[in-house]
Amino acid sequence: MKHALALLALLAGCATAPQPAIEPAGAPAPAPAARVESIAVASLLDSARSDTEAGQLASAAASLERAIRIEPRNPRLWHELARVRLKQGDYAQAESVAARSNSWAAGDNALRAENWRLIARAREARGDAAGARAALDAAERQR
Amino acid sequence: MARRAKFWGHLRLGLLALVLLAAGFTLYLDFRVRSEFEGRRFALPARIFARPLELHAGLRIALADVIDELQRTGYREQARDGEPGGFARGADEIEIAQRPFVFWDGPQPAKRIRVAFDGGRVAAVRDAQGGELPLARLEPLPIGGIYPGNNQDRVLVRLAEVPKHLVHALIATEDRSFYSHHGFDLRGIARAAGSLVTGSGLQGGSTLTQQLVKNFFLTPERTLRRKLTELVMAMLLELHYGKDEILETYLNEIYLGQDRDRAVHGVGLAALHYFGKPVQHLTLAESALLVGLAKGPAVYDPYRHAQRALERRNLVLRETKDRGYATLEQYAAARAAVLGVNPKASMGTSPHPAFLELVHRQLRREYDEADLRSEGLRIFTTLDPRVQSTAERVLAKKLAQFDKEKRFGAAGLEGAIVITDSQTGEVQALVGGRDPGFRGFNRALDATRPVGSLLKPAIYLTALADPSRYTLVTPIDDGPFVWKSLGAPDWEPANYDQKFHGAVPLRTALAQSYNVAAARLGTDLGIERVLATVKRLGIEREPPPYAATLLGAVELSPFEVAQMYQTIASGGFRTPPRAIREVTTQDGRPLRRYAIAMEQAFAPETMYLLAFAMQGVVREGTAQGLNAWLPPESAVAGKTGTTDEQRDAWFGGFTGDRLAIVWIGYDDNRAARLSGAAAALPVWGELMASLQPEPLALSRPDGIEEVLIDPQSGLRADGGCPGALELPFARGSAPVERAQCTSALGIAVEEVKQRAKSWLERLFGN
Repeated sequence: MKHALALLALLAGCATAPQPAIEPAGAPAPAPAARVESIAVASLLDSARSDTEAGQLASAAASLERAIRIEPRNPRLWHELARVRLKQGDYAQAESVAARSNSWAAGDNALRAENWRLIARAREARGDAAGARAALDAAERQR
Repeated sequence: MARRAKFWGHLRLGLLALVLLAAGFTLYLDFRVRSEFEGRRFALPARIFARPLELHAGLRIALADVIDELQRTGYREQARDGEPGGFARGADEIEIAQRPFVFWDGPQPAKRIRVAFDGGRVAAVRDAQGGELPLARLEPLPIGGIYPGNNQDRVLVRLAEVPKHLVHALIATEDRSFYSHHGFDLRGIARAAGSLVTGSGLQGGSTLTQQLVKNFFLTPERTLRRKLTELVMAMLLELHYGKDEILETYLNEIYLGQDRDRAVHGVGLAALHYFGKPVQHLTLAESALLVGLAKGPAVYDPYRHAQRALERRNLVLRETKDRGYATLEQYAAARAAVLGVNPKASMGTSPHPAFLELVHRQLRREYDEADLRSEGLRIFTTLDPRVQSTAERVLAKKLAQFDKEKRFGAAGLEGAIVITDSQTGEVQALVGGRDPGFRGFNRALDATRPVGSLLKPAIYLTALADPSRYTLVTPIDDGPFVWKSLGAPDWEPANYDQKFHGAVPLRTALAQSYNVAAARLGTDLGIERVLATVKRLGIEREPPPYAATLLGAVELSPFEVAQMYQTIASGGFRTPPRAIREVTTQDGRPLRRYAIAMEQAFAPETMYLLAFAMQGVVREGTAQGLNAWLPPESAVAGKTGTTDEQRDAWFGGFTGDRLAIVWIGYDDNRAARLSGAAAALPVWGELMASLQPEPLALSRPDGIEEVLIDPQSGLRADGGCPGALELPFARGSAPVERAQCTSALGIAVEEVKQRAKSWLERLFGN
């Protein structure tokens, strides 16, 4: 076992030594989405949450949209917006916005699973039982 | 006897008729005066605002841009710790004394903030005590109104908001016995009668009530009958309404000037127009100027006849002092003050009529035109004044340069620009022509022109949606091609360079905008399928189902193209471009929010591949010229478009934060020497460079894997292949066959590395 590992390491080392220039074809790899929000976004998230608790859903959505304008690639913000849409009974938008969150959530499996569960609830509320099951399966696959 | 009785009978009947007639006339006048009074009190145009600037640490904005926006909103430079509505600038810092403002989500009180800058970014936002503020929202720039048919504009004020000294100056000057008379003033009438006898015409002597009545019925005739009618109506008005109600209506009704094609009515708007501040903050001297204007806004126009205006103001001040409304000290101080009118009367008819038209059209879908013109709605839009001004400036400059060089044809080129937030679909700017202040043909919305190659992404998107048949490296035949269809002449598309290029990889066919390859691919896929993609991208009109449509023989407006590209820029989520965020009533009660709405129209993997290929257009294709303006790291995705006989030049593209569509052409649609790369791209490049774009970092979906490809053969490569490219593929769709350059050892090493990697991953978790 030890020997096998050593051999692998050796082979890997050999292969990387005479590395030919590989032209980067695409854009620089996307930086992982900022996990720590700026103070501006954090304060908007706070007011969105307290508005949600107070049942002020339109106001909560407005705060989240303000935050999204500042950090449009922050999947957490889109997720929070999807939750508000779900609470508002706007199931189509809840599903779309959760999917939008997923599109920025590469590498954050926990958030992706949350989004899929949210999509499942939105589909269930719309009477799409099969779609809801598929979404729950997708949530399961995010581990 | 009988005759006498008969005479008296006739007389009585006649008198009765006369009384009835007079009563009827009075009733009629009563009805008119009341309906006018009630109606006038509430006829308010909708007021439209740009997006509020939200300052927070980290925001990329220069101090000069913040100052520019503050000045356009009517803030003035002043010493530190000054009045609300001013700012004090330091080297890398600004203090803003914010005026109170009612936003969609409630009132924001006046407050003082300090904003520090560091190298084109906001370093910190603090309150007056030095505490850090997470976010500061500035008062939004008013960008125009939707006026009643007669172009009257006003900002309704309550009597309580009007400073006492303004009311006093008005009463002292115009109607000293206002609080005691019943609508008319006997001495005034006597004076008027005197002037009638002397033949100098009826004038003067009108009470405020009479002046108000006169304003209701705008004919300027000066007859005795008219004067009597006015008198009766004034008395009726006094009968129905209290002095304060009449005064308040007068203050809102009075005509105080002209601002281009907009009539300035009321002290609320006049305060903003002449002094750039709400009426509450007017000084005695400023109030006296407005009161003086009532006699003749053109005669005493402070912009045109400063001296006359100053003399008139000082006369008003003297009357105010003489009536005991101002102390000698107050009088002396006010008299010593300069006129102090706003240097630029910027609140006029919208400086951005093209954008305003978009707002108006979106509003008309839900509101009655009459309500828009009279209910005083407050409309909060998405316009970014900085982006809008930059777009206007760049287009005008570039077109002037093109005209001068006559590179594309005779002078008189026109253009249009649409800019949106690529993530939310908010319209940040809309330019309808080279003269942005001209409220004429709005090319961004109404010029429908062939889109040329701007439609090609729809063909490649249709192909890439089927990864089992098409990948970025699938060879597409760019050899001679004839399309035969029943009842139509043969269609033989040609390339821009009049050559054929044989088999080219799909991504190259798009990057080089090869027409023949695109036509062949589009007809192979099926025209109907490509058109279905166009529709799913957000185009509502039905393009003709002909093969020529594939190469852009379909006419769309720049705004429609923006809609289509928006779906690509936002990763396959169809997001209708929005120009309005919120609508409130005049007193700030929210009526409607226009939320971000979207619908997933394409799989993220497919959209990723298309956007990647469109980055190739800029990196190595027809839009390489963009490198003159933006560094390669910007990784812009875009597409050039040129139409038959080079009549239209297009460029559509997006960065990490914005999408912009540029069209250049002649209004008469003449043949020219235009091309997307030569005419539209420089405008796009200079525009985006001025806006310092965020680089486009595409978010890679799960279902995408990157594979080394040998560009020569389009086959799988390894470390041994010179010039190998890492390209994205929908998982499992990459070529399996190996290129000749791969060594047996190289492949073996790759496989071992892969296996070791996954084994280690399993071992340590992900």
